[in-house]
Amino acid sequence: MMDFLGWLEGTGFSIWVREAPTIWAFSTILTLHTFGMGVLVGASALLDLRLLGIGRTMPLGPLESLYRIMWAGFWLNLVTGTMLFAADATSRGTQWLFFVKLLFVGLGVATMILIRRQVYGAKTEPVAVNGATRGLAVASLGAWVAAIISGRLLAYVN
Amino acid sequence: MPFMNITHLHLLMNHVPTVGTVIGVGLFLLALVRRNEHLKHASLEVFFLIALATLPVYLTGVAAQQALQGRPDVSAAAIAAHHDAALLAFILMMITGFVAWLALWQFRRHGRSAGWTTGAILLLAVLTLAVVAPAANIGGEIRHPEIKLDADAIAPAGVWISAAAVQDLVTTRPWVWPAAETLHFIGLSLLFGVLFAVNLRLLGGLRGVSFASLHRMLPWGMLGFGVNLITGMLFFIAAPEQYTNNAPFLWKIICLMVAGVDLLYLTVFDKIWALEPGDEAAMLDKAIAATAIVAWVGVIYWGRMLPFLGNAF
Repeated sequence: MMDFLGWLEGTGFSIWVREAPTIWAFSTILTLHTFGMGVLVGASALLDLRLLGIGRTMPLGPLESLYRIMWAGFWLNLVTGTMLFAADATSRGTQWLFFVKLLFVGLGVATMILIRRQVYGAKTEPVAVNGATRGLAVASLGAWVAAIISGRLLAYVN
Repeated sequence: MPFMNITHLHLLMNHVPTVGTVIGVGLFLLALVRRNEHLKHASLEVFFLIALATLPVYLTGVAAQQALQGRPDVSAAAIAAHHDAALLAFILMMITGFVAWLALWQFRRHGRSAGWTTGAILLLAVLTLAVVAPAANIGGEIRHPEIKLDADAIAPAGVWISAAAVQDLVTTRPWVWPAAETLHFIGLSLLFGVLFAVNLRLLGGLRGVSFASLHRMLPWGMLGFGVNLITGMLFFIAAPEQYTNNAPFLWKIICLMVAGVDLLYLTVFDKIWALEPGDEAAMLDKAIAATAIVAWVGVIYWGRMLPFLGNAF
């Protein structure tokens, strides 16, 4: 495993991301990662809040298009996150907090998909919000908050 | 060539909080006496905009303090006293601005604001005025000995809060900065999620939703903004030298001012409020929404680029 991480970190691409003396490498990729986070978590949180009863006058149907925004944020962050990981593979790949973050991101995405199935799975009208959906909305908010906490603390914890 | 520096900007803007609060309080009292709701609405808008403008006044003031450090002809103690008084005035001004915004939001939704906001704003605005005027006066004495009644005395700030105490809180406890950073990112997500969605509605996304029902979510965006204002100020006060001489930070604040004006527009304007499901916004409203999204992206961009393009951290 260490061999692989070492190889990954030593590729020309990883070195470019990490060391290129241009703002378009590491700093821009990191900024895009932050932007993607705002897009994904923001859109997801908006739907979660609606499911928890805030802004009930918003019809659920049209809110399904929030999923396009969420997935755009997700893919942006998968790509930028992979690039950032490659640049620091040996340190990130051996950092337990990094895997905690991945776990919470996975949980966040899983709840996002489950909510879509529950609310919009019926193909016709969105299903009325029930206890299970509200539980998923709380889990979603919790997972994103935990993912942000663990991700942000990566910069401070070894 | 830049035609002015940040300290100069402070001198240009530093009367805005005091004069603005006087105008705001005057309009508000007049509205209460004449029982005029339109006037009250206007005074709430004044309070919001003055609070918005007070942010750069405070920030440029700290930049001026940095620039004047170590100069024998300026009293560091007088500047510190001005800073402490200004910090309390800033905090009160921000709270006043938040409550004024909440009242404007209620006005839009219910045609009137809740009773408690009137009392709260009156109290907060008068308190702000009582603190901001002396703060400005102490500031004037830094460079204008001719206005001092007692030439030798350095006016005490006379407030219970001090920038040094805030700095101490953040720098002596190693967990405060990372904790505040984490909250800053959570606040960012909430703030951006809400304001992106509301502005996107004007651009034609989420068209099946009426503007009024998305307007309901604005306080959640404001909650995110509040978290980020508090945590952001902790960073700024703890390590001002990272920000006051940092071009990306200046751009971030400029973007924030644009986004703040847009927030007022989203909160109060009639034409967009009337957008029913399926309705398309007018071209001008679309242009404003696009500008606002660019401004928020700019806030994130310049904020995240602080360590790379500037000298933060």
